[in-house]
Amino acid sequence: MSDAARAFARRTLADSRVRTLSFAAFFAVIAAVNVVGYRKTYPTVADRIRFAVGFGANKSIRLFYGVPHDLLSVGGYAAWRVGGTLSIAAAVWGVLAAVRAMRAEEDAGRQELVLAGAIGRRGAFVAQLAAIATGTVVLWLAMFVGLAAAKLPAGGSAYLALAVVSVVPVFVGVGAVASQVAPTRRLALGIGSGVVAVAYVLRVVADTSSGLEALRWATPLGWVEELRAFASPRPAVLLLPLVATVALLAATWSIAKRRDIGAGLFYAHDRAEPRDRLLGSPTAQALRGERGILAAWVLGIAAFSFILGVIANSISTADFPESLREQLEKLGLSSVMTPSGYLSFTFLFFVFAIGLFACSQAAATRREEAEQLLETLLALPVGRRRWLGGRIVLAAGVCVALALLAGVCAWAGAASQSADVTFGGMLGAGANCLPAALLFLGVGMLAFAAVPRATAALAYGLAALAFVWELFGSVLGAPSWVLNLSPFHHIGLVPAQPFRPGAAAVMLAVALACAAASLVVFERRDLTGP
Amino acid sequence: MDEAAIRTEGLTKRYGDTLALDGLELDVRPGEVYGFLGPNGAGKTTTIRLLLGLHKPTAGRAFLFGVDAWRDPVAAHRRAAYVAGEPFLWPALTGAETLTYLARLRGSTDTAYRDVLVDRFQLDTEKRVRALSKGNRQKVQLVAAFATRADLLLLDEPTAGLDPLMEVAFRATVLEAKERGQTVFLSSHILSEVEALCDRVGILRRGRLVDQGTLDELRHLSAQAIEVTFEGPAPELPPLAGVHVDRAGPQALRFEVTGSVGPLLEALAPHRVVALTSREPSLEEIFLHHYDAADGRV
Repeated sequence: MSDAARAFARRTLADSRVRTLSFAAFFAVIAAVNVVGYRKTYPTVADRIRFAVGFGANKSIRLFYGVPHDLLSVGGYAAWRVGGTLSIAAAVWGVLAAVRAMRAEEDAGRQELVLAGAIGRRGAFVAQLAAIATGTVVLWLAMFVGLAAAKLPAGGSAYLALAVVSVVPVFVGVGAVASQVAPTRRLALGIGSGVVAVAYVLRVVADTSSGLEALRWATPLGWVEELRAFASPRPAVLLLPLVATVALLAATWSIAKRRDIGAGLFYAHDRAEPRDRLLGSPTAQALRGERGILAAWVLGIAAFSFILGVIANSISTADFPESLREQLEKLGLSSVMTPSGYLSFTFLFFVFAIGLFACSQAAATRREEAEQLLETLLALPVGRRRWLGGRIVLAAGVCVALALLAGVCAWAGAASQSADVTFGGMLGAGANCLPAALLFLGVGMLAFAAVPRATAALAYGLAALAFVWELFGSVLGAPSWVLNLSPFHHIGLVPAQPFRPGAAAVMLAVALACAAASLVVFERRDLTGP
Repeated sequence: MDEAAIRTEGLTKRYGDTLALDGLELDVRPGEVYGFLGPNGAGKTTTIRLLLGLHKPTAGRAFLFGVDAWRDPVAAHRRAAYVAGEPFLWPALTGAETLTYLARLRGSTDTAYRDVLVDRFQLDTEKRVRALSKGNRQKVQLVAAFATRADLLLLDEPTAGLDPLMEVAFRATVLEAKERGQTVFLSSHILSEVEALCDRVGILRRGRLVDQGTLDELRHLSAQAIEVTFEGPAPELPPLAGVHVDRAGPQALRFEVTGSVGPLLEALAPHRVVALTSREPSLEEIFLHHYDAADGRV
């Protein structure tokens, strides 16, 4: 690489350092905590056999973690539990990294400057890949260190980390192709996340439907399972991600070298008859601008909750011995073994998902300011309170819609299998997601008002921390005051458990207080550029 | 109403260690076209952000028609329209949609005049903003701002990116606004534009207003340029207070004189002078005088 290309690669790497380091920390912590937690919860072989019998056959658990190959060893457990979740995170990182390097810069107009200098297209492409590859190695290293720190054998840890990270280059390829095809960062991210979602759904279907196991070979997330770390490793499967990556990157290059800079593969429709709907207020215009993203959220939440509803009916307590139920109780999952109980538990996932949506709205609010569109708006007779208040109300409204939609669709899925689940109960489960999700919205908006440049990092960071806190705090047997710090710990698993009005009221009150504070604080600061 | 269109009292803005604006006192009268001059980084955009209440003054206050811009920006903006130096607009909206949106947010706009302006600036309103060049996005902003017929137009380097034809259209539009009694605050570093349009000029340097007045007043206070051609080679003259000498050719000298020309004429008397021309300093010379004289470039 030339000096110029090296400098550009370093810049690309530095651009995404916060995100890469956050993911690396997440990988290391998840890897270590799961291993330690398993040893602590299932110290004896007898415990582990009971666990394997119960969970190994449980389709609803496979939904999240994939299919286990060996649940009797610590390593096999880690491969299933850690590998199943982190491979999804790795796929997301791959798409984000590729779009950031290959489309976001161009979308912002900076890539023209780079290519006007001493770097050609090929040099820039190689430098981008080099930067992303470095980030990938960091992720692999972080996961390896996490596993090894929890005293798993070094060789197996390295292989498991490799298996998980093997999805990264594939999804970098997906993000790279999307970045060539789509003329905007937004659309590229949309296409990339869509492919991640399809890959995940394919794995879910393969892992939970008898007769369709072969579908596992159709998704990079399934390849991770077939690499069978800590069970009977099959390193030859690594050829699949390798071939897929080469093919995707070759496709990327073949498009990249012939298209115009700043354009996608297809020319965007740059002319249109005026459509004046949703231009009456900043809030309406925000809805207009975000409508594609909102539609994706609605579809995603609806599809996933419906699938959960369908699968819920495969839950049955009949197969489980009394001792297993004690184990489940230890995990806080005692009521999981009925369709309604299972759905109650899995709706914690929707708290998190809708919370993430709330964070994305705080981030979008900040982006409007960083792109200096807000300066254009606020130079008009538009008050800051009206603008920010409108954004908050819009985001909260969509949160409510998503939560209720999740409840209704889960009910519809369960009802299609004649499961014993009531409509009112599931609507309640959906509504029960709201206090925590709105809390994240309030916190995110307050972050926007008080520390604008850190909005996204703070909002997403706190939501992820709260979720991980609850997930692992209980497994690790943390004292209750520690667990109490996470909002997730205060959510009653509706409808299986009673609704907890006190906790919900406190969360809503804090959410409202944060939102109100954000309006006041935002009125007192300078508008802040990128 | 004899209330000032723009009035600032000790307006000061500090960003961290940088003093961007230092005790600015402005008084722009209704109906006047005020040129706000300064090189990049002098504090022009900071001033406009404070006038719009987008940034909070560290000290002092800014008023638009008597309304405090920081405390009550919405009321202040009802009578003001703004054109930013960098046109930040919504990339997915077309030009026409952008004009509609901006008009609705403002509450009222002169749509007939807007159509005139769209024609005059040759704006293709069916194109999406993301496909427009910088100059064309600038035109969208200009059309939107002038079509409001707002009492006060705050223009921050509005012609950056416009071609010479559009520059002519811009000047015509500013003069129309002036005829209608609108006030124009034109921040610029294009001196010919300011010279052609403005009734009064303020010169900003490093966050301080170093000079202000009509062009005539500024000229009076500034150096006069005198060019002298001699019969033989140009002589060496003794140093004179308030006179700056440059060689303008083998037989010619160029003098910049601040204050009285008497001492210079006395010094020239013993020499054989063929020609002597004196002219008023251009705005450019006034401007450069302020920037070069004291302590070199800013």
